[in-house]
Amino acid sequence: MFIRSVFFTITCILVTGCSGTTVVLVPDPGGKVGQVSVSTPAGTTLLTKANESTQATKAEQAPSQPIVLSDKDIQDKFAATLSKEPTPPARFNLFYATGSIDVSAEGNAVIGNIVSAIKSRLSCDLSVIGHSDRVGDDVSNRGISLQRAENVAKALIHTGVPSHCLDVRYYGENDPAIPTDDNVPEARNRRVEVEIR
Amino acid sequence: MPGNNLSHSNRIYYFVLFAQLWLFSPISLADARIGLVKTHQPIAYVIRQSVKQKLLLGAEIFQGDTIETDASGAVGIIFNDGAVLTLGSDSKLILDNFLFKPDERKVSFLTRVLKGSLVFVSGAIGRISPESVHFKTPTATLGLRGTKVLIDVQ
Repeated sequence: MFIRSVFFTITCILVTGCSGTTVVLVPDPGGKVGQVSVSTPAGTTLLTKANESTQATKAEQAPSQPIVLSDKDIQDKFAATLSKEPTPPARFNLFYATGSIDVSAEGNAVIGNIVSAIKSRLSCDLSVIGHSDRVGDDVSNRGISLQRAENVAKALIHTGVPSHCLDVRYYGENDPAIPTDDNVPEARNRRVEVEIR
Repeated sequence: MPGNNLSHSNRIYYFVLFAQLWLFSPISLADARIGLVKTHQPIAYVIRQSVKQKLLLGAEIFQGDTIETDASGAVGIIFNDGAVLTLGSDSKLILDNFLFKPDERKVSFLTRVLKGSLVFVSGAIGRISPESVHFKTPTATLGLRGTKVLIDVQ
């Protein structure tokens, strides 16, 4: 039964015109492989490994067992769409001393890199996102994260980035890079992320 | 305090922008753009509030939009949360739900794929709430956990 299902799936992928939904899990631009569940009313197939694929031919049948596709199989089916992918967003981080809202010397160097990336991508679509660690209360951490982000936004605008191209967000301690217990200082969480889309 | 100038002028800027949107556009105040078209090959269309128009490079994308491509068309969109969606030729999808309010922990992303081929890389919504990114096709429902997927619907 398993062999038959594998055979059917391979045949279906190689021969054009088979009906239903094909799903392939691939590594993200950072090389990380997540998970995707594919469900019909009759069952669920979970894809967890790079290049695993399943097919849901009909809603009343469970999706096929996962099989690993070769790079060639994937290119045969998806090359045209993959060739139109936008450049993935670029992300930069500036880090802060406890309680500080000022851009450090290292932070200024990162701002230089951010400005170069904005120029090379001709981007007018970026977010400046402030964060704190969990030292202090939630309200003051939201304030600190906002001030950090606003200072970075100001520095970017000062270098000539048009203010309408960026939005400022602040999450306080609610979106840590490294989850910690309350009141634990964590340098990697005291940061401003800049995402250039 | 130096920080206040910026936030004040930003507030005025956004007030004017949203006032203009509200006065001159059929899109309500609540529906800010959810993404921008970053790659484009003709012909791609958007159907918004029953009006079908050609989609061009740099166009804004809104919740509820239907995106459609012809036999030579393709379109790549980057969403506000950093997710990247590329739609191939002869394809059609509906952006049913895009909610991105991470400061309130309210996020969700639901796309209905009617036909064709797409590539999707999840963004901050998938990172903040891994159970919140879903695709529906005519035969299946997909739940993503922070990843990249290729989907083909015949």
